[in-house]
This record gives sequence, C-alpha cells and structure tokens, in this order.
Amino acid sequence: MKNFLYLLMGGWLLCNPMLSHASLIQEKKCSECHRLSKDENEKSGPDLFYAGNKFQASWLKQYLQNPMTIRIAGGTGDPGFLKGIQANSQKHPALSKKDAGQVTKELMALMLLELPEEVDLLEPLTKGQKAKIKYEFERTFSCISCHQSLNLAGKVRGGISGPSLVNAGNRLQASWVASWLKSPRTFSSKSRMPIYKMEDEARLRLTQFIATLKNENKR
Amino acid sequence: MKKSSPTFILSYCVFLIVVGITGCSEKSAEETRPPLKSPAYLEEATPEPVVVSEKTRETYQWYCAQCHGIQGKGDGINAKFLTVPPRNHTKAKYLETRTDKQFFEAIKFGGLSVGRAPCMPAWGNTMSDSTIHELVRYIRELCQCEAL
Repeated sequence: MKNFLYLLMGGWLLCNPMLSHASLIQEKKCSECHRLSKDENEKSGPDLFYAGNKFQASWLKQYLQNPMTIRIAGGTGDPGFLKGIQANSQKHPALSKKDAGQVTKELMALMLLELPEEVDLLEPLTKGQKAKIKYEFERTFSCISCHQSLNLAGKVRGGISGPSLVNAGNRLQASWVASWLKSPRTFSSKSRMPIYKMEDEARLRLTQFIATLKNENKR
Repeated sequence: MKKSSPTFILSYCVFLIVVGITGCSEKSAEETRPPLKSPAYLEEATPEPVVVSEKTRETYQWYCAQCHGIQGKGDGINAKFLTVPPRNHTKAKYLETRTDKQFFEAIKFGGLSVGRAPCMPAWGNTMSDSTIHELVRYIRELCQCEAL
C-alpha cells in the first residue's frame, strides 16, 4: 500500500506541468540572478515574478535563445552603474529552442493577480499623433533623458541609465507599461525613475507611443 | 430754500474727518488687506537652516547622479546623450546667479518650469519637499556658492 502511494505521488509530480517547468528554471538557476517571488531580496537581474504581466511571450522566447543588451549601463544596483562600468557584465546564457519554449511558458505563468491598469487593444497612431506624443515623451515627462527610443526618422536617441525602449513595442505588454507608469512601486520598491502623477489620457498616449517603438522601425 | 441744520453740518464734517483718517491712509489700508499667502513649499523655504542628511546625499547619488554625475560635475552616464548638457553643480559662476527658490522649483516641477532644459524631469512626486530643500542646500555645498 505504501509503495503504491509513492508510485501515485511520483506519477503526479511527473505529470504536473507547472512543477516540471519549475524544475527547468531551477536547473537553469534563473533564481540566482532574478527574483521569482516578491518576497526575495533584491537581485542583480531584472525581477521576473511578474514576467507574465510584463513580457510578450514571442519576444521572451526569442530573447532566451539570443539574448541582447537591454540595460546598456547595466543593472541600477550594480556598484559600477554610475561609473558606466558593468559589474555584472556576463552575458545572459542562451538556451536551446526547446528549453527557451519551456522556460517561456514557466515565466509567463508568473503573474500578479491584479494589474493597476488594464489597456485594451491599442489603436495605431498616425504620424501626426506620434509626433505630438513624442513631444510629451521627450519634453513634458523627460523620458528620453534616461531611455533610448526612436525618433520619427527611426534613429536611436536618448540616455542609457534606464532600460532601452528601442524594441519596447515587441518586448512589453501595453497593460504592463501603463501599470508601471501608474504605480511603479507595485513592481519595484526602489527604482531610479521619477514617479509621475499623469492623467489617464496622458498615460494611455505614452503607452501607445511606446508600443510603436520596434526594432523593425529602426533605420 | 431750506437751510441745513448746524447739527447735520457738524455730523457731516465729523464723518468726513473719520473717513479721511481711517479710509485713506496707506497704513490702515495695509492693515485691513488680507495678508498675501505664498504656497506652502515657499513658506517652508526660509525657516530653520537646512542640514543635509546622509539620506539626502544618497538620494542625490541614486537619482540625480544618473545625469549630473557622482561628484555633480555634469558628467553622469546619460550626459553625452542629452540634447542639453546637465548642469555642472560644482560651477559657482552660473549657480550663484540662481536663487534657492529657482533650484527648488526646477527639482520639484522640472527644468521647463523655470525656463530651463526639458531633460530635467519633475521630482515632486518622488521626493518630499524637505528632501528637495536639502538637495538645494547640497547643491550649494557642491558649488561653494550662495544666493538668495
């Protein structure tokens, strides 16, 4: 009877998809650099306990196979961050296509139950609208000082202390962008970005603008 | 035609004198005018001498140094990517022509609010007024300069 129970339990563990994904994340030691739960202490890599809210699955799967730099100046907690020296300069390990798919599934399951802001499907912006919002992005809210983005000609412009937004339209979910703008402390207790109390319309406009920033628009 | 009574004329003269004294003098006008009230953040701008705490120095390193540099020399990691170079906080020549109030408003409401570069965002929702007052004092320490 006891052996039968062990067999049953083992079968359940093998068949449970969440646990088998978790074991791959453990195997890849993601938690050495990333927080997978809000209760953990700060770590050198970006937090992943809300990865399912933040990232677009297609981008995440690509990134895991072919990692590229998003924070040009390194993590904000790096000791050499303000000197332009990346202490944690090791490249993110690249995974096989199969492993990337499995880790993506696992990460996309890590979500906050409620987001501060939910954004419906965004309407495309006309060039005129984009130019007006770019003005807000650069002059009203000064985002360009710390984040790289694309100007109307598709050229990369902007500071490097914050994560690059050049491909943010492919990387981030619109609801997460709006939620971060509304309540950054929901996600991170300490960020170097100013807190804005902007009107809902302004927040939506910026979210729409950020969604247009894509690598394929880079010239 | 009916003549005015002496009592009426006397009362009228007394009335004119009273109005002349109380109504027209500048002093009394000032006394009756409600005092001008400045915004709370300005009233706080001139109280006790501000002491720069260790926490505020860390705040400068955490937020301001991204653009203004670790030593405030305007050479932060974002500096070379900005359309207008960040202010060098160690140079007195310009900073002593700016008031503490202008510093305060630039930090709280952003560069555009004081007619300066839009690269500087508004920090008023991130930092308390007292921290901003301390940052103003810290910039005065860096530039070794004073102004009103």
